[in-house]
Amino acid sequence: MSVPVRIAAPTALVFALVLVLSACSATRTKGEGGADKRPATAGHPVAGKADAASGVVLHAERTTPTDIDLRWRGGGSGASGHVLEFATDESGPYTVLQYLPPRVTSYRHPDLIPNTTFFYRLRAFRGPVSKAVSVTLPKGELTAEAENSSHDWLPARKDPKRTVPGRPLRSTGAGAPTGFKATVKHANGILFTWTDRASDEAGFLLEARTRTGSAYEPVVVLDPDVNSTGLITLPAEKEASYRVRAFTYGERSNVVRLTTGESTGP
Amino acid sequence: MLTRFRALTVTGAVCASTFMALPNAVAEVEPGGWTSVSPTFTVQERGCGQVDGLTFQLTCSTASGDQRAERRYATYTGGTRQFEGYFRISSLSGTRISLKQTFNESAAGPYFMLAVERGGRLYAVHGGDTLSNAGTVGATVRVNTVHQVGSSHRTYINGSLQHTYASPGGSFYDKFGAYRTNSGNGPATVVWSNVRFWRK
Repeated sequence: MSVPVRIAAPTALVFALVLVLSACSATRTKGEGGADKRPATAGHPVAGKADAASGVVLHAERTTPTDIDLRWRGGGSGASGHVLEFATDESGPYTVLQYLPPRVTSYRHPDLIPNTTFFYRLRAFRGPVSKAVSVTLPKGELTAEAENSSHDWLPARKDPKRTVPGRPLRSTGAGAPTGFKATVKHANGILFTWTDRASDEAGFLLEARTRTGSAYEPVVVLDPDVNSTGLITLPAEKEASYRVRAFTYGERSNVVRLTTGESTGP
Repeated sequence: MLTRFRALTVTGAVCASTFMALPNAVAEVEPGGWTSVSPTFTVQERGCGQVDGLTFQLTCSTASGDQRAERRYATYTGGTRQFEGYFRISSLSGTRISLKQTFNESAAGPYFMLAVERGGRLYAVHGGDTLSNAGTVGATVRVNTVHQVGSSHRTYINGSLQHTYASPGGSFYDKFGAYRTNSGNGPATVVWSNVRFWRK
């Protein structure tokens, strides 16, 4: 049996609430963090931060020459989670690192490209969820027959039969997906279907809580109007609860930037 | 058996807003001494492979023969080369599809192949190492490779070093798109964007 690994909430790191920025050499501009260009050492980490116009304040700290730890606070009430993005050019393109549940407030970006400036930003998302569905998959590994079977159920789809005139998403639950259903396709495959009842969603999030998990985690992000998707599960998901969320994006944090140092690897 | 994981899957245009026109700035990684280059390429369509711009499709589930939709770039010999690109697997009903190759022309064979299997695991075909806990079906994933011919080949996924490989000398070329590996099959649709090359 293989060992399942998944990006998940990294263990929250203990940071000082106030970062000492007097060492920062870069000029701070509105919405953008400064960065100390001096090499970081284990005993002398380098931090970048900025004052955010929104409620989400993002901080970054270079804990080794090529590891950056990010943490954030705020974001207002009712946020369903945050999207963390990075770029190596101030103007982008930005790449999503992860969609994170609201209880997660830190992230480690490890083993980074040396001598390179990284830009990070965070965006809140929010929206109502469907009722949850519990799924228990057949025991054992995928059979050769199942492995070689057609997986045409896997791609996300937009079925007009499960789309109704939508309502704007509200924290009260308006616009939440309904009729959420899971169909087991094989020992590690599930097809999810639901009815799209939102008019202004940025997309849908399929969220899962494993049998031993304490909370739902986003596992799939889908386009607006999508109302079915397949999922290839992990071993830890033999028994899990799933739900789908229609979401919109909220406020964006400040942008922070930090420059990595020389690689210490081989 | 290999480690299995799944990062968050992101489909379609949810993240499209994060993409914008690239400036002419030098944003290469491992900065210092790079010169931007634009190598020529040819388009390769074999079997059920179809190429439309930067969209690469394998339209069949055939698990044999040459099923290929790729760009093959000009051969380079010596020096250090950098590749940067962003890919999004917009659909994958098949499995074990190569996305990006560094091909050893001197040895007449693939030298490094970044591939994806059903469910979203990104791995190196030679050796089978899992490369990423960040990229999966539907997600936009950034890839940088730095190839010092005769020394090493480094692969960064979403900014993090995920694979280092000793490199022989000789002649090589870059390929990307969608290609059925020996144990794989389509269908698959892969969309690449913001592809750039440097040398030094």
